[in-house]
Amino acid sequence: MANNKTQSQKNTGFQINRTKLKTATAAQQDLHNLSTPARPVVDPADVVVPDGYKIEPIMVGLSFPTDVSFSDDGTIFVSEGGSSWPTRPYMPARVIVRHPSGDTEAISMNVHAGPRSVTWRDGELYMAFKGGYHMQIAKYNLSTRELKILIDQIPSGGWHEPGGPVFGPDGMMYFGHGSVSQQGVALPAGFTVDLAKHPNAHDVPGQDVTLTGNNVRSRDPRMPYPFMVDTGAFKPFGTSAKKGEVIKGELFCNSAVWRSRPDGSDVELLAWGIRNPFGMAISDGGELYVTDNDFEEKGERAIANDPDRIWHIKNARKPFGSITTPDWYGFPDICGDGLPVNHEKHLPSRGTAAELLLENPPEWAGPAVFLEQPHSCMCKMDFSRSDAFGYKGELFVAEWGALAPLNSPRPEDLDHGFRVIRVDVQKGTAEPFMHNKKMGPASTYGGGGIERPVSCKFSPDGKSLYVLDFGVAKVTPGNMLAFAHTGVLWKISRKEDNNE
Amino acid sequence: MNNTTQAPIILIELDQETRSKHLDRAKAWFDNVLLTQASNRKLLEDTVEKIEEPHIKQYLTEMVEQEKKHEEKARELFSLIDREPSDVRQLLGEVMGKARQALGDFIAVAGGAKGPWQDLHQVYLSNYNSLGAFAVAEQLGLALGIPRIAEITFGVMAEKSTSQLLLQECVLEMSSMSILYKEDF
Repeated sequence: MANNKTQSQKNTGFQINRTKLKTATAAQQDLHNLSTPARPVVDPADVVVPDGYKIEPIMVGLSFPTDVSFSDDGTIFVSEGGSSWPTRPYMPARVIVRHPSGDTEAISMNVHAGPRSVTWRDGELYMAFKGGYHMQIAKYNLSTRELKILIDQIPSGGWHEPGGPVFGPDGMMYFGHGSVSQQGVALPAGFTVDLAKHPNAHDVPGQDVTLTGNNVRSRDPRMPYPFMVDTGAFKPFGTSAKKGEVIKGELFCNSAVWRSRPDGSDVELLAWGIRNPFGMAISDGGELYVTDNDFEEKGERAIANDPDRIWHIKNARKPFGSITTPDWYGFPDICGDGLPVNHEKHLPSRGTAAELLLENPPEWAGPAVFLEQPHSCMCKMDFSRSDAFGYKGELFVAEWGALAPLNSPRPEDLDHGFRVIRVDVQKGTAEPFMHNKKMGPASTYGGGGIERPVSCKFSPDGKSLYVLDFGVAKVTPGNMLAFAHTGVLWKISRKEDNNE
Repeated sequence: MNNTTQAPIILIELDQETRSKHLDRAKAWFDNVLLTQASNRKLLEDTVEKIEEPHIKQYLTEMVEQEKKHEEKARELFSLIDREPSDVRQLLGEVMGKARQALGDFIAVAGGAKGPWQDLHQVYLSNYNSLGAFAVAEQLGLALGIPRIAEITFGVMAEKSTSQLLLQECVLEMSSMSILYKEDF
């Protein structure tokens, strides 16, 4: 039985193909009557950027894009599709390649959840994938078309996402992966679809932990009758924990950040206890920062007012191969502000209040370098490296925006996010850089501005910031629906670059 | 202050040719939605006549009215993509509804069931088939970026999901009456 389970959790590889992609060009006025009623207008005039900057849409009609990257010759790579947020509809999992010549092609792959990131480095594309019980990091050579899986052991198959890979000035590859569970325990509230696909998925700690034995009681949606089960931390759904039980820490855990050589060898665990390190960026000085998203105020382990945050991964400064104990950043028991999840500040106004899961937890590696409003959903980010663009040394962060009222009952959370901010990681402060004239996604009030920024990256010359807009995702108190062909790639640059 | 420029913009799968092709393909599935819906409605109408137990008869009578509305919703999907439904498919659906009754009779004989239970069992399967057809239509609406398709289909699916629970309950409750006691209800 154990062998069967192990067998079923192995990835079986996937195929990758390149095809020419049919596209058309449009002028700005054509974007006022698009054929997608979910987003009929794309209009940069509805977007606010600082004086002296201009904004323009570059690609329109993307389907659930997740990341953008560039080669040195200016080729643009956009990862999109797969089974994403939410899991339906599935759209072709691929990387759209826009060459400087104007030719466009698609690097398509038959992997279920699809690419969540794309990073160009020395003629090769590095991509992180969800799908199945393990996340994968793959390398695709653009000349030879060889595909190599570099990492294929990290437990996934749940709610959160891979992070990176990004490359440091030390030449090493840095990558991450969020937790399987949404709230610290595998529960149906955030797990129903994944529960059908991956019933054995669970969180894995990065070091030995002792459990309090607090279990969470919930309905098992897989059963034909109302059927109540108990689930413990670091356990598959429906498996309870015992007080004093020790869960062994593993190199290939989750809610964690690693580094390795660029070929995926000599993997080293730097940190764990990071709920969703989807965004990763390394400063010119070699400091690694990751975004992290807050707990949700709903369901059977509800936690209120947890701020989004950016962590400084201090272990990344230490020599490669020297880390003996990873730093712990708080998941599943500590909020972004350093307070425990059962602190009165974090008691929920709906759902069941959280109890602590770890006895004698490791030392907390916080505080965060920056705390953001709850549910802003900070995603991918990049440092400005050019005086030509400005704000050199500041960290630009894409904020996907709140899933309220689904994940928070608080009216003040409704318009958190939906913008790009620039963060001074030394001072721990931030300023908005790009947002709509009216805060929130443009589609909620009929505007043509941004919907949900998911990634932002600087061009190789550092003169332009590209902001990837996931597209329209409508949220109600009960569900979320996302619409394909509504994603947009925006470009922001200084006006004086074109002598305007 | 104008902060925009006028450079050409790349459209991904939003050119007229690709869009039209996608809408034609969606139309073909919507015809399937109409077919399965017409089949389900016809089977349900005929089954109500055979049931005597007053509560189940009442449940199914109300369900018939709901199914008629779902059929109107299925036809509405076509207008959202500027296409016309196939009346032949709808007619074929009604024929299939009749064919399902015959299938139910065969299964009943083979399984030793008696009375209208086999028809009820076929309605249970048919409703699920129709629910699935609308669910796929919802996915196409999401993939095409047309919210109204998702709104219509979500409402229909919510009602059919409730019907599915009710049909399952009636089928399971009455199975012993039909199979062990060989009695009508």
